[in-house]
Amino acid sequence: MRSLSIGATGMLAQQLNVETISNNIANMTTTGFKRQRAEFQDLLYQNMRRVGSTSSDAGTVVPAGVQVGAGVKAAAVYRINEQGNITPTGNVLDVAINGQGFFQVELPNGETAYTRAGSFQLNAEGTIVTADGYNVQPGIVIPQNAVDITINPNGEVLVKLDGQVEPQNVGQLQLAVFPNPVGLEAVGDNLLLETPASGQALAGNPGEPGVGRLMQQALETSNVNIVSEITSLISAQRAYEMNSRVISTSDQMMQSVTNLR
Amino acid sequence: MENTLYIALSRQEALRRQVDVMANNVANMNTTGFKAQRMLFLEYLEQPDRQQDSMSFVQDFGLMRNVAPGPLMVTDNPLDVALRDRGYFAVETFAGPRYTRGGSFQMNADRELVDGNGLPVLSDQDARIIIPAAAQHVTITGNGTVMTEEGEVARMKVVTFADEQRMETLGGGLYATAQEPEVLENPQVAQGAIEGSNVQPVVEMTQMMEVVRQYQNTQKMIDGEHERIRTALQKLSRVQ
Repeated sequence: MRSLSIGATGMLAQQLNVETISNNIANMTTTGFKRQRAEFQDLLYQNMRRVGSTSSDAGTVVPAGVQVGAGVKAAAVYRINEQGNITPTGNVLDVAINGQGFFQVELPNGETAYTRAGSFQLNAEGTIVTADGYNVQPGIVIPQNAVDITINPNGEVLVKLDGQVEPQNVGQLQLAVFPNPVGLEAVGDNLLLETPASGQALAGNPGEPGVGRLMQQALETSNVNIVSEITSLISAQRAYEMNSRVISTSDQMMQSVTNLR
Repeated sequence: MENTLYIALSRQEALRRQVDVMANNVANMNTTGFKAQRMLFLEYLEQPDRQQDSMSFVQDFGLMRNVAPGPLMVTDNPLDVALRDRGYFAVETFAGPRYTRGGSFQMNADRELVDGNGLPVLSDQDARIIIPAAAQHVTITGNGTVMTEEGEVARMKVVTFADEQRMETLGGGLYATAQEPEVLENPQVAQGAIEGSNVQPVVEMTQMMEVVRQYQNTQKMIDGEHERIRTALQKLSRVQ
């Protein structure tokens, strides 16, 4: 029974769909998280009677062939890089990106990773680091005697030192933009890595054309829309049930054959 | 004498393939741009020896694709496009142009607009559509024109065919045909949405129940026929 394995492909596809949706829901409050969508495609077809074949010597063309499909496959689980909401936090080292671009983070192994989660902190040396303690590139050090830190929309980090009136520029935050940000590989911990599909990272100052602007004392929330996720979840569950129904139907047909004397 | 069995068998074979087709519909109920298929049956008349009554076998002679548009599903992805009415997008493959209604497009590393399989989407000039590097926002207008803040990039090729039923389904949402494409002047392209599959699960489920019952009825008929032949043989041998 071909329908048995076709139903199985359907169940597997819906399982992946539910897994993607549940990951979105689990990350609905993750800073800078981008929701994902599972995309499906039909599998190959078996030609039992080819489209456009002739049915007589006179060249009569069959109006439609018989092509039986083999089910469904997952084509892609792609990230939807829609801007998330920007929520003020009041924390001076929280930075949200409004527009395209990613912060560059130096991993312990020397590689560069990219993130939209701008909940930064200072480490013991006064360097701006991510929540995991990785350096935000280019390593910007805040002097010990700084009383106020300002990060302007163009990424300049200005500090006001104790006893001084004029703020001092201590560094410039840069953002990386990609030709195809959907192609970045997610490695967890809000981090993404460059891949051949994403293209080469291009660093730019915030505020330049095509590079987003920064917003201090705010964070970008995840762009998960909980209502649409729950409705997708319900429809995925129903689709799963219907595919299991296909399997039980095929089973009934096979059973009636088995009972044949 | 065994013709009853063969006729019943032809029915069962056809029903089994019909379930395969319906299973494929159900499996693809969430597939972008998928079109439900329906089996067509034909009576295959035969008159053996030109003397007996004619017998009618069942033959599944074709599949019809329901070409009605599927529901629009909003994804908010700027590169997702759906065709609200007729038409197919053209994509480039090694074997020539292929056609698809699965509009979940993406940009590849060369900034070319590609479909879910990574095949470049063709413009009405039969060229690849390349989004300029400085562009931040891509807008696709109602007639398929791709725009950025830098200006117009290209217009997507949206075509239709004289006989859509004669397009061969290749899987992966692609179709192939030898027919000459007719370019649609005013396609209805919706941005930020994709076309869902037009499978109606309720219809598929009820028809599947029906098919299963028909299959079982035929089975019963085969059983009955088997019984009849057996009793006949027993009784005939007893008389002797």
